[in-house]
Amino acid sequence: MKRINLGEFEEIALLTVLVLGDNAYGVSIKTEINMDGKRSISRGALHTALSRLEDKGFLTSTQGDSIKSRKGMPRRYYQVTNKGKLALQEVREMRDALWQRIPSVRMELNYV
Amino acid sequence: MSETEISPPKFYNKIFEWFCNQDLYFELQGDLLEEFEVNYHQKGIKTANRIYKKEVLKMLRPSVVKKVKTQGQLNNTAMFRNYTLVAFRNLSRNKLFSAINIIGLAISMAVGLLAITFVSEINSYDKFHENRDHIYRIVNTRTNLGQSPQEYATTSLLTGVWLKENSTVFEKVVPVLNGFNGNIKYGENRFSVRGQLVGEDFLDLFTFPLLYGNSQTALKEPNSVVITENFALRVFSKKDVVGEIIQRGRDQFTITGVMQQPPSVSHIKFDAIASLKTYEAKPSRARFFNDWGTMWSSYVYVQLGANSTIEHGQEILDLLAKQENAKQKAYEIKPGLEALTDIFPGSGKYNQMGTVMPKENVNQIVILALIVLFSACFNYSNLSIAKSLKRAKEIGVRKVAGARKNQLFIQFVSEAVIVSVLSLVIAFFLFQLIKPEFLALNSYTSRTTTLDLLPRTYFYFLGFAILIGFLAGALPAILMTRFKTINILKGVTQIGSNHKLNLRKIMIGIQFTLSMGFVIIVTLTQKQYKHALNFDLGYETEKIINIYWEERDITLIKTAFEKIPGIEGVSASNFQHSTGTLNSDIAKNLEGTDSATVYNNYVDTEYLNNMGHRLLAGENFKAEGPTDQMVINETLLSRFKLGNPNEAIGKQLNFYDKNRTIVGVVKDFHYGTIYNQIRPFAFLWDSERYLYHVNVKVTSNDMPGTLAQVENAWNEIYPEYKLNSSFYSEDIKRTYADLSSSAKTFGMLAMVAICISMLGLLGMAVFTTEARIKELTIRKVLGASLSSLLSLLSKSFLTIFVIAACIAIPSTYYMFKNLILKNIEYTIDIGFWELASGSILIIIIALLTITSQTLKAARSNPAKNLRNA
Repeated sequence: MKRINLGEFEEIALLTVLVLGDNAYGVSIKTEINMDGKRSISRGALHTALSRLEDKGFLTSTQGDSIKSRKGMPRRYYQVTNKGKLALQEVREMRDALWQRIPSVRMELNYV
Repeated sequence: MSETEISPPKFYNKIFEWFCNQDLYFELQGDLLEEFEVNYHQKGIKTANRIYKKEVLKMLRPSVVKKVKTQGQLNNTAMFRNYTLVAFRNLSRNKLFSAINIIGLAISMAVGLLAITFVSEINSYDKFHENRDHIYRIVNTRTNLGQSPQEYATTSLLTGVWLKENSTVFEKVVPVLNGFNGNIKYGENRFSVRGQLVGEDFLDLFTFPLLYGNSQTALKEPNSVVITENFALRVFSKKDVVGEIIQRGRDQFTITGVMQQPPSVSHIKFDAIASLKTYEAKPSRARFFNDWGTMWSSYVYVQLGANSTIEHGQEILDLLAKQENAKQKAYEIKPGLEALTDIFPGSGKYNQMGTVMPKENVNQIVILALIVLFSACFNYSNLSIAKSLKRAKEIGVRKVAGARKNQLFIQFVSEAVIVSVLSLVIAFFLFQLIKPEFLALNSYTSRTTTLDLLPRTYFYFLGFAILIGFLAGALPAILMTRFKTINILKGVTQIGSNHKLNLRKIMIGIQFTLSMGFVIIVTLTQKQYKHALNFDLGYETEKIINIYWEERDITLIKTAFEKIPGIEGVSASNFQHSTGTLNSDIAKNLEGTDSATVYNNYVDTEYLNNMGHRLLAGENFKAEGPTDQMVINETLLSRFKLGNPNEAIGKQLNFYDKNRTIVGVVKDFHYGTIYNQIRPFAFLWDSERYLYHVNVKVTSNDMPGTLAQVENAWNEIYPEYKLNSSFYSEDIKRTYADLSSSAKTFGMLAMVAICISMLGLLGMAVFTTEARIKELTIRKVLGASLSSLLSLLSKSFLTIFVIAACIAIPSTYYMFKNLILKNIEYTIDIGFWELASGSILIIIIALLTITSQTLKAARSNPAKNLRNA
């Protein structure tokens, strides 16, 4: 079986793009990920992840129209490719399979 | 700040643009901007800026940063050493051309250095205040009934008082009243002082640190004064003088603080600032604080509170204006806010505090300097292109040896940079030479700038020289790198097509258009200036000496002067006509059905005679007569439809809250300057109160002797004051100083432009004759006459000159009409010769330059020129 090369953050980025549908571009992806306050990623870090995903063929991107409020600079919209979707699916299946093999999750008691 | 203008920190913006990979820039920068805007609206400018900076710094990662191109750079130093060597060899081989290039560049760069120093000094005004971005000045736009609105830098003190009591929008409100000038007394000595009366928060709002005294309390009490370090040294010869008492008029002031000498780049200039509380306590000054219309010499500075915007400030001012304007009808005032940093250089408002350099002046100087600089760059480009054939072999060999295009480009550009840096050294000396001239150019520059060189200015200079070198060298470098190796090595003499030749012609054409334009504008401005001076004013100013004296006792002076032989008459007036001062109020007829703005002056009984005014009807003022006498001009007569001059005598008008009787009518005269049309005017009679100027008419032939007597008489009356006198003609000259300084500026630039273009032309003429020497010699041997050789060489240049003149004349004419004559009512007639003489002069000089070279070639021995074929 070929290995799926998908990091944890990459997975989250990919899922967020899916969640956002047609509206997935830099700022929206970043706000979505940062939303619950649990993470605080910079735009630069996000770019690294997105470009790596594009290199792997999990994402494609298209340039939008130029927007006045951005001094005429266009947005770049991201879409998940079929390959990306398959990869997500596979990661999830692998994870689910593992979860099912665990009898029950039990937190160990810590004595302080 | 409007919404569209918000922008993230510029510096970070720039760095990001610099390091970001071009392909990603639009996406990433767009995202950053979008986020910035969201943050700006949600969290405010500060947080938005902080986040933006952090984001930019976090962009520093391999996936974002531009890929650095690496190529073989092993022998770079050796290459550059070689370039420098070749550059110097070239300079010394073509001594004439190098000299032309270096001198031309140096002259124009001196002008450039001047502009740099000037602009950087002007732009540093008021930047030393820590709160500079939050300080505003309240300015008034006043519309008197029936007149157009006028902008004033001043506002009423009432505004300050009201804002303090009724609003929390402004954190600090500091009223400033101009008028701590004149003399102060310490012991028996008098010292002239310049200063203001200011509100108690003055030292808190502005950054003027105190050396001695407490800045929190220094201006809280009435009759306290803070003086500057230098003033303390001048008066007391020491600095720690807190607690000393000085006297000004009838008031005594206690020194509560000594201030570290304020920088010269402050639009508020003073030796001393006194507490405004001093006046608040006096009932005689109450009008300053409670009258909306008394706004002529008072300023209000405010600092916006942390949570208020400029719009909030404007709202509260509009509220006040609405309330106050409703109280009377004679005028309407609209207050506004002007940022501290916009005050200097500023827009032309009336009643500025001290002299404010108009923005247009700064722009004008920059534009003129740029024009001259481009002209010099053209010279360099032109000559280098012309000489490029001689260096074709070098280029060919370098190319064969493997030089890349950009390496050749660097070589030629660095040669130009070497030339411009050499020029910088000469330019620096020239700059020191013309600096005093420039400072004396007009009252704006002499009063506001020092042109002192700061360390950073030297960096600007160096950067400037490199930039100029690049600009001058870029064009020839591009052309030379394009040479085809194969053609060079084959020995083709004409490399490239003809368009390069045309480029050169265009450059020469532009240079000559500029020179002609400058010369024409100098001629015209000079003529207009002469016209202003010799204008028939309608009264006499010949042999009149004016003495300025503020402190009343005019009668004493008059009687003393009248005794001096050789003085025909002595009179007094409120101000001098034709020197730019105007005074006006609304006059109404008694029925109240008609009203108009009437200009006026207070004069004594001798004035009309003394100044040679022509009475058309009625008679002069009578000393024993009533105080409501008035002498009017013809325009007033017709404005109020008072009939013919004789009918008008005895009629009354309401003017300055009083019904005044017309006792005489004078012929129309120019009470204003060439900038003003003649409008209704009235002389009002006054014996003492408003008379500040004494006019002495001297008829003796021994002018210096009489002047000495006048001075003696003065010294007998007021031994402690210096006589402040001047000829009327000098005063008028001073009035038109702006015209004469324009003429001087243009004159200086015309000289520079002509020098540069003539140098360039000389270079081109030398080059052309050198290149065609064989052809010329053969023609000569075959019997061509000198004149035919001359016409052969100068024909192509002559076409350029004629075209240049055709462009220069109409465009300069248009510029002169629209820039200089814009506000002038009485202008000169512009004929053919005023316009053409400049161009003809330049063409003649240019032809002489060409002729000298042709003659040299024609006179040389033909055998010598033809021998080594």
